[in-house]
Amino acid sequence: MKIGTNAPALLLKIMLLGALNAFTVWSVPILISNNTWIFAIYFVVSTLILDFIFLSKRRIAPKYIVPGVILLLMFQVYPAFFTGYVAFTNYSNGHFLDKETAIDVMVSNSFAPVGAEPNYMQVARDNTTQKIALIIQDANGFNVGSRDGYSALPSGDVTLSSDGRIEKVTGYTVLSDDEVFAILDEFNDYKVPIGNDRFYSVSDINAVELVAQNLSYDPIKDQVTDLSTGTIYSPNNNGSMVSAAGEEIEPGWTTTVGWRNFSKVINDERYRQPLLQVLAWTFIYAGLVVLSTFFLGLMLALVLNHPRMKSRKIYRTLLIVPYAMPSVLSTLVWAGMFNVDNGVINKILGSPIPWLSDPWLAKFAVLLVQLWAGTPYMFLIATGAIQSLSTETIEAAQVDGASPFQVFSKIKLPLVLMTLAPLLIASYAYNFSNFGAIYLLTGGGPTIISSGGIAGHTDILISYTYKIAFAAGKGNDYGLASAVSFFNFILVASISIYSFKKSRTIENMT
Amino acid sequence: MITEDILKQKPLTPVQWARKIAWRHGVGVAAVSFALFPLIWMISASFDTLGSLSAQKLIPDNPGLDNFRELLGNPDQPYLKWLRNSIIISSANAILQMFIGATAAYALSRFRFKGRKLTLMTILVVQMFPQLLAATAIFLMLADLGKSIPALALGQTTALIIVFAGGALGINAWMLKGFYDTIPAEIDESAKVDGASHAQIYFRIILPLARPVLAVITLLSFIGTMNEFLITSVILGGNQNSITLAVGMQQYIDGQYNARWGPFAAGALIASVPVMILFMYLQKHVVSGLTAGANKG
Repeated sequence: MKIGTNAPALLLKIMLLGALNAFTVWSVPILISNNTWIFAIYFVVSTLILDFIFLSKRRIAPKYIVPGVILLLMFQVYPAFFTGYVAFTNYSNGHFLDKETAIDVMVSNSFAPVGAEPNYMQVARDNTTQKIALIIQDANGFNVGSRDGYSALPSGDVTLSSDGRIEKVTGYTVLSDDEVFAILDEFNDYKVPIGNDRFYSVSDINAVELVAQNLSYDPIKDQVTDLSTGTIYSPNNNGSMVSAAGEEIEPGWTTTVGWRNFSKVINDERYRQPLLQVLAWTFIYAGLVVLSTFFLGLMLALVLNHPRMKSRKIYRTLLIVPYAMPSVLSTLVWAGMFNVDNGVINKILGSPIPWLSDPWLAKFAVLLVQLWAGTPYMFLIATGAIQSLSTETIEAAQVDGASPFQVFSKIKLPLVLMTLAPLLIASYAYNFSNFGAIYLLTGGGPTIISSGGIAGHTDILISYTYKIAFAAGKGNDYGLASAVSFFNFILVASISIYSFKKSRTIENMT
Repeated sequence: MITEDILKQKPLTPVQWARKIAWRHGVGVAAVSFALFPLIWMISASFDTLGSLSAQKLIPDNPGLDNFRELLGNPDQPYLKWLRNSIIISSANAILQMFIGATAAYALSRFRFKGRKLTLMTILVVQMFPQLLAATAIFLMLADLGKSIPALALGQTTALIIVFAGGALGINAWMLKGFYDTIPAEIDESAKVDGASHAQIYFRIILPLARPVLAVITLLSFIGTMNEFLITSVILGGNQNSITLAVGMQQYIDGQYNARWGPFAAGALIASVPVMILFMYLQKHVVSGLTAGANKG
């Protein structure tokens, strides 16, 4: 076999490999400095493997497979395992950092006024650096302070107005109150260090107050002490510093919590009830969608597949319109049509039916929309299956005097079901996690009251998980969400395994 | 019954027609009405100048383009940017997914190497754990990675594209391998004898032969990405300028749905018509692609 001597292809290969290596050399030190060792190692190993494969003249098969596998491992396999890990942690809002960083943040956020009178201050801009500076009056006279330091100004530099305000400062431009208001946000954490762990912090548009760090961390005892009250905070088992009285300091850190997330959804009534309800609905919903769409699709295929109907093609083209329309958009259109006060459905029916806010009606609405969206697919595959049926069997049955219904139920249906079984199972698995169908129509709602506002009557597992993790203002509990995902993984994998067994994919593997 | 008619091919008398065929048209018309109703309602709404859900009629009293103007002129919800983002992300993803799947499938179909069965098995198992279910983990992973690599941070289009590319092998490789298996190996054997390299065989012979299948896979990936909501919203999040149509249009059902129904319908119309035309155009191939799974596991 001749080795490729194609010059542009070789050049492209060298450029791509070069870019990859440059990227790795650039990114790995940064990854290490951010303590993300796992990615650093993965990048280095992957790059070495790719270099080896593509610079070797043999290793032909890996050239085609390994790049895809490397991406697959990083963005599909790793997240699956990581879900398993996160399920055993308290990852959530307020527990997002590692312990070291969290304690740093705690301590550096803990500024408290030491109780001295505020000092008069005027905001100014340094004429040479154009940076903000604070002109502060203390017992010894005028000083200039910034984030970098604090130093006395020569007394002649400051010109006061008649009412005692600072009017001019040599080398600085004094800002008007309006100008200061415009940049007020900059002063949120603006602190001027004056030594001895004390700082001036802006407390008013014309005043600064003396603050000091109020918390101190003792790494040996692993305790945080409140310097003003003497309260001692120790770590609890949920990644927070807690006082004896139970008071917590924000933020906490990420830590493993064992089976707590799982025991929460199994033992805690507030989570178990909604989860069981969501789980049951997920199974029922996916089952009903497959059954109803398959039934309607098959019926339409049987009815419209008559050789005497010249308009078959037209029907077929029009019937698959819902399948061709992007499902996100059609679901949203349906949501508008179901609108209680103004939706077209209620206008036709002439009464304000709460389609999306009544538990049962919302379930019905979700199913109806999926019947609309899913039937074309079933119609297509059923038509294909019917057309491929052998006419001999059917004719033989007809000769033997079978009624049309018998021909359908004893011959056509079993044969069609046998052909389509793998597709029906795949459809079940798809609907089991069809997030958009639920979330875009009802948002999972209406809310199940006992669930603390998170789970809804039409939520399926995947939308429930999404809401636990990402719904605004409801906790952002990634640990718990991952525990629920974990269940979802197991269920979806079981369905797939069943499906593979059914379709005998594995035995056919050649 | 069906076959009788075929054999005879005699024109039906009106009575026969009424008894055997008419009701079929009845069912067909009813089904088509159900299928087309939302689409027609959406088209009607987008040209209705009253622009609100409550005032809408099937045939607008005074049709006009007000809704389109309002949709395109709203700086808080930059529709054209969303459309552009959707097209960029979907195209990049469709091409990457097709390419990654097609290359791996070539090796899995044509070469016999150590670990081949293992690879096939792994891909099969990985398919059971769709990315969708790991959205939370992907979010946390990117939150971490983004600190070091800006292109992989949350809110970045590139991050989304790379994440989707990671799922490519699981989606397409098996199906394409099945297709390649049906291309006779003699074709590449004889090319090999003539001195073609493996890359030449792949790019010059196999890929062109597979073009119809690859086109369908690319189209389905494109539509799939366009419709993807969960991972897209988790990764791109609240950044109004980088989100896709799917995520952006959802904002219209929050709150003032009634008042913004017209512009929403206009936006939905613009976005769905090209996809529908493309789909209808490739209809035949799409249908055979769909049923392929049933015959070849």
